[in-house]
Amino acid sequence: MNSQDLIGLALRNLVRRKTRTLLAVTGVIVGTCAIVVMLSIGFGMSASFQEQIESYGNLHLVNVMSSGGGNMVGAGMEEEGKFSTLNDKAIKAIEAIDGVEAVSPKIEEYLTFGVGKYIAQASVIGLRPEVMEKFNYKIQDGRLLKKTDKYEVVFGNQVPFWFYNPKKTMYAGGGDKPQVDVLTDELVMTGDYEYGQKKTSAVTDSNTIKYKLYEAEGVGVLDNPDDESAYYVYMNIETLQKIANENKKARGEAVGRDNNYNQAMVYVGDIEDVSTVSDTIRDMGLQTNSLNDWLESMKEQARMIEGVLGGIGAVSLLVAALGITNTMVMSIYERTKEIGIMKVIGANLPDIKRLFLMEAGMIGFLGGFAGVLISLLLSLLMNTVLLETMNMFLGSMGGGGSVISVIPWWVAAGALAFATAIGVIAGFSPANRAMKLSALESLRNE
Amino acid sequence: MKSLIDVKNVRKIYRMGEEKVVALDNVSITIERGEIVCLIGTSGSGKSTFLNMLAGLEKPTKGEILIGGIPIHTLNEEKITLFRQKNIGFIFQAYHLLPMLTASENVSLPLVFRGTDKKTRDAMATEALESVGLIGYEKRKPSQMSGGQQQRVGIARALVGKPKIIFADEPTGNLDSATSKEVLELMTKMVKADNQTLIIVTHDRSVASYADRIVTIKDGNILSIEERRPEENEK
Repeated sequence: MNSQDLIGLALRNLVRRKTRTLLAVTGVIVGTCAIVVMLSIGFGMSASFQEQIESYGNLHLVNVMSSGGGNMVGAGMEEEGKFSTLNDKAIKAIEAIDGVEAVSPKIEEYLTFGVGKYIAQASVIGLRPEVMEKFNYKIQDGRLLKKTDKYEVVFGNQVPFWFYNPKKTMYAGGGDKPQVDVLTDELVMTGDYEYGQKKTSAVTDSNTIKYKLYEAEGVGVLDNPDDESAYYVYMNIETLQKIANENKKARGEAVGRDNNYNQAMVYVGDIEDVSTVSDTIRDMGLQTNSLNDWLESMKEQARMIEGVLGGIGAVSLLVAALGITNTMVMSIYERTKEIGIMKVIGANLPDIKRLFLMEAGMIGFLGGFAGVLISLLLSLLMNTVLLETMNMFLGSMGGGGSVISVIPWWVAAGALAFATAIGVIAGFSPANRAMKLSALESLRNE
Repeated sequence: MKSLIDVKNVRKIYRMGEEKVVALDNVSITIERGEIVCLIGTSGSGKSTFLNMLAGLEKPTKGEILIGGIPIHTLNEEKITLFRQKNIGFIFQAYHLLPMLTASENVSLPLVFRGTDKKTRDAMATEALESVGLIGYEKRKPSQMSGGQQQRVGIARALVGKPKIIFADEPTGNLDSATSKEVLELMTKMVKADNQTLIIVTHDRSVASYADRIVTIKDGNILSIEERRPEENEK
């Protein structure tokens, strides 16, 4: 018996008992939908976790800190490959790690910017200007930093909106357009927090400390509206170090002479490598943190949720499998005579078995196919019409976002294959039974 | 004529709990190629058991059954099925057509199991239906045909693969006498045309008149064998 005839005969038998077939198929549809939709919500959650975390910053980035305090070992006494402080040697070592594309030490200083009467206060991050591009900073206006830049600064794209006239308002009003053009207007910066504000009679830092005023030049505005880079100003680390030292001097604080940094930024090309790079750096005796650490733990959580949801779905597919077995067993009782006839007029035993397996497999396949289609439809509905309602439910579980349900192609294909396999497995015992029926007994059954 | 079926001292005992029932006591017979043999007997005489054993559906408790020299009582179920597929056609009292298949599909079913390709078997099925006078009924389902028509489909199905032996178990049991006559004439004419061997089981003496030899079975033994070949030659 060739496969084509087998499929034809099996289809015929399924169509003949429409109601029963339909019920068995419906069972599989429900099971498949349960698995696929449940999993898709799990995937949706992990996608929205990633989306959320990406909005906080760059997932390629690892922040490195010296392990700090208590461990003040002289540079000469350091163990090979171990660093207690984040110095240039450590930076070089980090650069050598596989997967690391760029490293820059990072310092941060809170400065006040002034344009005419308008001022804004912002954290300024000093880094090596030549790595900016590698760190994936995108420019909206102007350009990124270059190696020769000193007092040139690049603004995160929210910072220009912060400029306000302290003599008129208490803070910047959220206008549609910044009140100054940081790229063309004359720009100054200073460590004096009260620069440009009305002098009060009270004794303040500003009255007693003479901060230097630097002439700066805005050369670019970044194009990362969503992540944290929007809220910082960037400049050359060497210049910023100088400014910081001068500010300390002005305040009468001691200035460290070493080139130890508080922090460094490491850019890893492939997000997948971030955790191994982090581990390697930690092995050097330094501390790291990255959004990826957080993402990993959230993904872990999402995987758990997927597992639980998928498990619930799997139970309903198991029930569907029992339905198929039941259908096939009933079908054998009903068709005992027919099986006997087929045997007597020349059906080989394996043919009988294949016929029943094929029928069961078809129930699984049809159910799986329809189930996947319906799941895709449900997924579409959840992501559009039902988005708000679903977000309300899922919000409490830490999910929710612009997508609720994600069905990767391999889940769809896998569910179809799984449903078919379940059908075949469910049909196995009935098929064996049909094969073993005595032809003679079957014919007597009238 | 060369002998096709050799039955030697066949005995069949059924165990019904503690009790033993002797269905066949000691049966020996030789059937030749091209012969039409009628096994006649009352219900419970053992004639159906005998037929089942000739067809390999049951195994004798004792004795040998050789068909074309092959000891079919020694074959396992898989081999006997293959043997039946190639050599044996069956006609049943209750027709036993598959209800979901059309007349043409029912007829070609044995060929499907043999793995014949669709084109060849459609042609063969049409030819077989033509020879039983059912042209125009190819697409009918069994439920849309009369008993006589269904039995003719059954005959076409039994003969389509050109088997050497055809077994007919009470082929006219469900038909009225006029239709019975038609069906029997058709059957005998067709097997004679192809020199096939036909073995009919019946309890109806009028059926027996179509046979070359009438074997009367009673209480598990052959009571008498009546040769009718001369008469057949007179026709």
